[in-house]
Amino acid sequence: MINTAIIGCGQTKHTARRRDVNLSELVAEAVYKALEDAEMTIDEVDAFIVGNMQGFGGVAQPEQWIGDWIGCPGKPVIRIATGGTTGGSVGQGAYYAVASGLYKKVLAVAWEKHSDSKEPGATIGLAHVGMGNLFHAFKYGLSMKNLLATTVVGAAAGVAVYQAKFYMHRSGATIDHLDMVAAKARRNAAKNPYAHLQWPNCQPEDIAKTEIIAYPFRYGHVCPASDGASAIVVAEESIAKKKCKQPAWYLGLSSVSDEENQLQSENYGGVGVLDPSEQMGCRISAKKAYKMAGITDPKKEIDLAEIYQPFPSQEMIFSEKLGLFDEGEAWKAVEKGETDINGRMPISVSGGVNATNAIGSSALQRILEAALQIMGKAGEHQVPKKVKKTVSHGWGGVTNYITVTVLGDSPRR
Amino acid sequence: MAYIKDERPHTIMVDGDWQVGAYRYKAPRHLEEFCAGLKEKKIIGSLCPGCGKVIVPIRNICGRCHCRQDERLVVSNHGAITCFTISPPVEKGKYKLFGIDAVDTGTLKVGEIIIPVFVRFDGSDSNVNTIIFNCDPKDVYIGLRVKALWAKELKGQLSDMEGVEPI
Repeated sequence: MINTAIIGCGQTKHTARRRDVNLSELVAEAVYKALEDAEMTIDEVDAFIVGNMQGFGGVAQPEQWIGDWIGCPGKPVIRIATGGTTGGSVGQGAYYAVASGLYKKVLAVAWEKHSDSKEPGATIGLAHVGMGNLFHAFKYGLSMKNLLATTVVGAAAGVAVYQAKFYMHRSGATIDHLDMVAAKARRNAAKNPYAHLQWPNCQPEDIAKTEIIAYPFRYGHVCPASDGASAIVVAEESIAKKKCKQPAWYLGLSSVSDEENQLQSENYGGVGVLDPSEQMGCRISAKKAYKMAGITDPKKEIDLAEIYQPFPSQEMIFSEKLGLFDEGEAWKAVEKGETDINGRMPISVSGGVNATNAIGSSALQRILEAALQIMGKAGEHQVPKKVKKTVSHGWGGVTNYITVTVLGDSPRR
Repeated sequence: MAYIKDERPHTIMVDGDWQVGAYRYKAPRHLEEFCAGLKEKKIIGSLCPGCGKVIVPIRNICGRCHCRQDERLVVSNHGAITCFTISPPVEKGKYKLFGIDAVDTGTLKVGEIIIPVFVRFDGSDSNVNTIIFNCDPKDVYIGLRVKALWAKELKGQLSDMEGVEPI
């Protein structure tokens, strides 16, 4: 395999409504920032990997809309859509395109423009991911009240709320720990100029003042719906070394789709028929990605993690599944401040998905933010220690698809 | 930091509707067996020969070990809560499904508090996502013993089991 690295990163400012731009203008903003960062022109790019969450923006063939704007006519374009993890898959797609030797320089861009829909994502976007299984259950007379059991607690929140409760019961974490994680996300986001929900010096007590929307989630725990795009430039070893002082090298990656955690499985069993916080897909993909990266003890070798955590419980669940903490112990590390920006294992120092959620872009942002930390370009939210190896995680599909990407400061040998 | 709005005279905003069409899916039939059981107030699960788990409702293929689950078992009507959440009081216009308000259809009442739960019926290893009735929000806890709450008229469909209630 050819050694491959990220040599340029670009993202737009994320806000609730970017009505001053259309889809193409939004995507182009991120693309040209990434090219500028990589000190490249659009003519030098060999191929494009693009993607957003299918159905959310109401655009069926976005590559046609954005093509001229990002300079890809006449060049190979691959569109990837894997639901919530689209960005993670786009970032991994760029690796495959270069590591295979097919292309030397690839541009990957992922985005979401929620505000184009009157009900952000909901009608077509969220409904269609579970539609087939829902109609199946309707056929056999699923009562409306039972179906609403999911929607009364909010569609995506409804999925995560069970996951959170299972985790809390199993591990001993409490609602206070959710407050701590959410406050950390808002606080970190205030240092990231591109993040959405910024709250300088946010403390757990501030989050605790917000109302409970679906026990154990408070309003202050929930991620926003953002408009935004992020882009990376990926190149092979010889070009990366020439163009970039400190590239972020791909060391290992994997993705797993876990049937047991499908939103509505074939028996309409709901999320996590056995245990929604088990997340076997994350454990398997982490194991595979670490093996590829030559990492034997992630607790010691990983310096920083960017976790896809729309809800604070997920930061704790997935950090355990990624092997960064022992099973059921993550909340203790949160209590001790180990996951803070200056802690032993900084997690989501960009604010993460809890502070910024442009669905399609979110998982690519995790890879991008980890790359920024390795490159030393994160600015105000740069962690004080030297970052050698990072792990970036994506959670989506519906609720079943996991991507794990390990980046490092030196190429694989 | 607020985003500084740029003037972009070269593009305009246009409105549009996107009506989603109808679909025809080819689906498995194993829920028919489950519904036939409900008509006799029996909760039927499937036994996995690979991992030995009993899954309710019936599945064809195990999601974990991918074995065919051909054997059927009747599990208890009684079980325990494994997970729960509590909704805020229902408001009109807040709970819409496919654009239809649940209060208008009479499915939910204004001010009602819904407690969605996961139930593990005795003899099974999986969770059923349903609602607990006749239970005060402050009385619900993980491990609470419950029994199936049946509809007055059994039609052989999923709604025959309305939910569960405390024993």
